[in-house]
Amino acid sequence: MEAAPQFGARQLSGFKDFCQFAHGTRVIAGRDLLSSAGFEFAKEGAHRVFVVTDQVIRATGLVDKVEAGLMDGGLEVVGIFDEVPQDSSTEVCDRCAEQARAAGADAFLAVGGGSVIDTTKVADSVFTHGGSARESEGFYLMPRADDGMGAPLPIAPLAAIPTTAGTGSEVSMGAVVKDHENKVKLEIADFPLFPRLAILDPESTATLPAAIAAATGMDALTHAVEGYVSLDANPYQDGRSLVALRMIRDNLERAVEDTSDEEARGNMLIAASLAITIGLGSTHSMSHPCGARFGVPHGVANAINLPHVIRFNAGGGADIADRYRDLNEVLGLESGGSDSAVGDRLATHVEGMIERMGLPTRLSQVGVPEEGIPALADGAMGDGLTLLNPREPTEEDYVELFRRAL
Amino acid sequence: MPYFKDADEVYRFIGRLFQDLSDDEELGPKFRKADTTVQYQYRNPESQITVKMREGEEGQVDLGETDMEPEVVMTMEADTAHRFWLGKVNVTVALARGQMKAKGPVAKILKLVPLVKPVFPRYRQMLEEAGRQDLQEA
Repeated sequence: MEAAPQFGARQLSGFKDFCQFAHGTRVIAGRDLLSSAGFEFAKEGAHRVFVVTDQVIRATGLVDKVEAGLMDGGLEVVGIFDEVPQDSSTEVCDRCAEQARAAGADAFLAVGGGSVIDTTKVADSVFTHGGSARESEGFYLMPRADDGMGAPLPIAPLAAIPTTAGTGSEVSMGAVVKDHENKVKLEIADFPLFPRLAILDPESTATLPAAIAAATGMDALTHAVEGYVSLDANPYQDGRSLVALRMIRDNLERAVEDTSDEEARGNMLIAASLAITIGLGSTHSMSHPCGARFGVPHGVANAINLPHVIRFNAGGGADIADRYRDLNEVLGLESGGSDSAVGDRLATHVEGMIERMGLPTRLSQVGVPEEGIPALADGAMGDGLTLLNPREPTEEDYVELFRRAL
Repeated sequence: MPYFKDADEVYRFIGRLFQDLSDDEELGPKFRKADTTVQYQYRNPESQITVKMREGEEGQVDLGETDMEPEVVMTMEADTAHRFWLGKVNVTVALARGQMKAKGPVAKILKLVPLVKPVFPRYRQMLEEAGRQDLQEA
């Protein structure tokens, strides 16, 4: 029997020329926090709150509880925008900003999943700085002092109550919204987009259907795995990725099997907020065009694509495979053997999770046709995260990866 | 002190490289697959290069003033652009640090990054032929 590996030795090796880690969100996690939403958000400068959500969440009664919690803390709710669709768009962001302005809001609270939170971020930016959502696309482009070279100008206070455990958008400075006209997803990232407050309360995921808990949980798992092997990986994120992966290992399938398991749901909320990073890789590069072109839910696309990218990456060199060895150790998998064997074990483990949770295992099951592959490969090549994948893929590689995932 | 003393020097080296790439029989068509028009706005010295890469059309590179409407605008110090073409700038790091700023559908440009790597020696050779060893040591 192989000796137990020296956990941690690989993770602490090397020193990068450059890394950057930022976390601008105050997180509170626990039980019965919705009733104190106002008390907490007031500390971030909110007075007149514009709530952003979707109709499904609103129908569950959750928004009513949050609204009561806001008012209980002395805040005013000046409007509720519940028109955010599953894959939100630039047009929705612009409309949300306009309504917030008309309502006289001075703060935004997102109550929902990734689409709702990302919409709220972009709407807040448009609300504060003007312009349109379409014009906001890009990295580190929000207005700054000193002729654009100084500190980024803040946006109106923003808080988020995630109703899924996966996106991590509640603690990230990124947002993705769809440009329906051009069938692409716009990526926007800058420091002011960190929500000032994230409230993680398992009550907010109490009505989440098992299938969505599974898909969004796989999104969190993909963040943990890709974030750990990304070229953008750094020791700060490594710690978060590994702890997140351990929590996902212990809680995701529990939360899906028994949706009343409050402890598992709460831990998954924390895991998702730990796993998120904007330094990801090719799984996300593949999943973004799947969503933009064929409406595949992000978590489902990630779940399907991840095992294929793991196998591809693990064959890219010992350094990459060693990072997967670390992940295998956390998951209790064999971490020795050849590079490809390490990747294959992890990929097979991920495929097992997907099957046990009843998620689709192939892109063809979720509406992706074979003739769509060239456009998907083109979209993946053009996704910024491709540059952060540890093994550099060509367009032909992406075609092959999509074929395997089909 | 900036590597280039004025806009003319930027155009003589970086501008010429873009023109060469646009005319290149192998690389030109690959770049035109991006199907976009990019404007590179440089500081120190102030200069501007606009590159049309439209599928099915001839490439076009305008140095300075232009009538072309850019879809993507990349802003950076001319020094950063010079170091990029020497192969010394990691685009994702430069974006993360704000050394390069990209406005518009950035994806169209990012997918060109892997294509330009083979061009780095060509830029170095151009500097060498011009007797500009000083610029090669950036």
